[in-house]
Amino acid sequence: MPPSPEASLPLAGIRVLDLGWITAGAASSTLLLDLGAEVIKVEGPDAPDPFRHWEGRGEGGDWWNRAPFYNFTNRGKRSVCLDLKDPRGRAAMLRLLAGADVLVENFRRGVLARFGLAVPELRRRFPRLVIASISSQGEDGPDRDMVSFGSTLEATGGLAALTGTGAAPVITGREVNYPDQVVCLFAAGAIVAALLERDRTGQGAHLDLSQRELTSFLLGEELVAAAAGAPSPRRGNADPAGSAERVVPDGAGGWRAEWPGGAAPVRDGAALAAAPEFLRGTAVLRGPDGTPAKGIPFRFARRPLAVHEACRPLGADNRAVLADSGLAPEEIAALEEAGVLATAPRRGNDA
Amino acid sequence: MAAPLAGRRVLDLGALCAQRPHALAASMAARLCAAYGAEVVRPVPESGEPFARLPPLLPDGGSALDRFLNAGKRRGPAATGAFDAAIGDSAALGAHAAAVPVRVRLSVFGPGEDPPMSELGLLALSGLLDIVGEAEGPPARLAGHQPAYAAGLAACTGLLAALRAGGEEVVEVSLFDVTAWLNWKAPASVMVLGAAPSRSGLPKDWHTLPVRDGHVALVYQDKDWPALRDLVGDPRLRREEFLTIAGRRRHHAELMAVLRPWFAARSRAEITAAAQARRIPIGPVLAPAELLDDAQHRARGFLGPGGMPHLPLRWDGARVGAEATDAALA
Repeated sequence: MPPSPEASLPLAGIRVLDLGWITAGAASSTLLLDLGAEVIKVEGPDAPDPFRHWEGRGEGGDWWNRAPFYNFTNRGKRSVCLDLKDPRGRAAMLRLLAGADVLVENFRRGVLARFGLAVPELRRRFPRLVIASISSQGEDGPDRDMVSFGSTLEATGGLAALTGTGAAPVITGREVNYPDQVVCLFAAGAIVAALLERDRTGQGAHLDLSQRELTSFLLGEELVAAAAGAPSPRRGNADPAGSAERVVPDGAGGWRAEWPGGAAPVRDGAALAAAPEFLRGTAVLRGPDGTPAKGIPFRFARRPLAVHEACRPLGADNRAVLADSGLAPEEIAALEEAGVLATAPRRGNDA
Repeated sequence: MAAPLAGRRVLDLGALCAQRPHALAASMAARLCAAYGAEVVRPVPESGEPFARLPPLLPDGGSALDRFLNAGKRRGPAATGAFDAAIGDSAALGAHAAAVPVRVRLSVFGPGEDPPMSELGLLALSGLLDIVGEAEGPPARLAGHQPAYAAGLAACTGLLAALRAGGEEVVEVSLFDVTAWLNWKAPASVMVLGAAPSRSGLPKDWHTLPVRDGHVALVYQDKDWPALRDLVGDPRLRREEFLTIAGRRRHHAELMAVLRPWFAARSRAEITAAAQARRIPIGPVLAPAELLDDAQHRARGFLGPGGMPHLPLRWDGARVGAEATDAALA
């Protein structure tokens, strides 16, 4: 099938409000953007996405617009900086929600309600809205408020116990935080499923996604085996499905993976970034200005998916988005005057 | 009950894929479709279900892999009737799904590029093997079938999107691209920061530690250091070399010499409760058998009969597709 650019993307016409932070929330929204949705990222002047504080952002000036991993992840989104703790900010958010199809959030449980945006209230006011809540433990249960990073969930979800080549169970650590990465692939699908269901029934939904449950789900066969009394050994680098597989020194200070019928070098980040199949693949793409940008984990033969735009500065779309929602220019100016709308974080460099 | 794929028929060609990573990925994608309410048909070759003899094996001789991945599907010798979507590798789709409007095609490196490959090879080539493991030891593969299952999640998301768009589509899912996408920080660090993190450089800030009844994951950010220091309460932790993250990395061995005995003397539950009270994201390392009786999983109804996990999703408070997959082990 030849590409037909005129074929519209699957989520054309869908508007997403993105309250997502770091990867689990923000990169799920990025996948929706790649599938054709318009994504409006909403951050508070007191609570910008913590990815803006990450390494490599440089000092001084508008440092918040120069954080490499933030810009990498959030390319192509419209940006609104709105103080949800202020009643006027909440009122503006409700106007935005009235025109939205999807809300994505991965705050600590209870934060959305403290903004006066509790899920039951939103479901009642906006019955067509799909609300995706991505959290460590889920919306309820005795561990609901347990503080966890991705690697904590590897431990509590069963992955760490089965990973490792030595005596200790192994977590991926801050360079990977595996559950935060993989949840995006599942959450974006669940949101598209909810939009399909809405196409059928007219009803939105609240999607309660627990990253710990996903971590356990991705070891589902081990849970089924354990329930039947079968052991769950840590297999090191052997194949859980039985083939003879191993990782051996390559004789040059590195490692090589071997399996029946094949072998591959164990690449580090630099070797990966230089590999031909990486360069022609889609894991990392480039924006129109050549800046590396988060890639897209699939391709569509008839509807080319691409990174169309670089990351926009914080609050760059304040006026346009609020005007779109029906606010008059003088109302927008009043919000700017009051600092409810902003283009910079309130706190300084060390926030 | 939400059933976004109700009335849709999905052809699972996982049992007919030439290579195992493709087979596992296709089977996972189709399993998600079954939970979303699709009628999933899985043709099996004359030699039988390829997962039926793969570990983990059960005391009754069956395969836990087969039961988990094929829950909620209808197995048959051949596929008949019309399908809305099909999932498989190039050859299986060509042979069995030429007329299916949405085809999800698994490959190693992209359309038509299918050299012999294993999940270990995918982890190695994508850098996800190198970055995981203890600094002093060999790299460690993530447990289970993470590269294939992640590709299955991506394949299902692409399939759902293609169905929503309508008409014909081929969704191309490269196992390598998905695995490298998961490991984006390593290449992005090279491309935008000029340096990649590595397993064997500085000691890891986060790792597991032995405790009285197993291990916990020591996970904390720089801002959590005062809380961790006070939790352990050893005056040596106030020394100047431990004040900054750079200092703690430089003096990792000395730091561990102070931390290890404190952790070793306490249980997972004690440590987790004390750390959580100070909002430090430390958690217990739990084995699959322990998860079966886990209070959080139980409270949320995550596991069905026989330990069968439900879709990790509640939809307006209800589990999605639980009836379909529970039947496999009920």
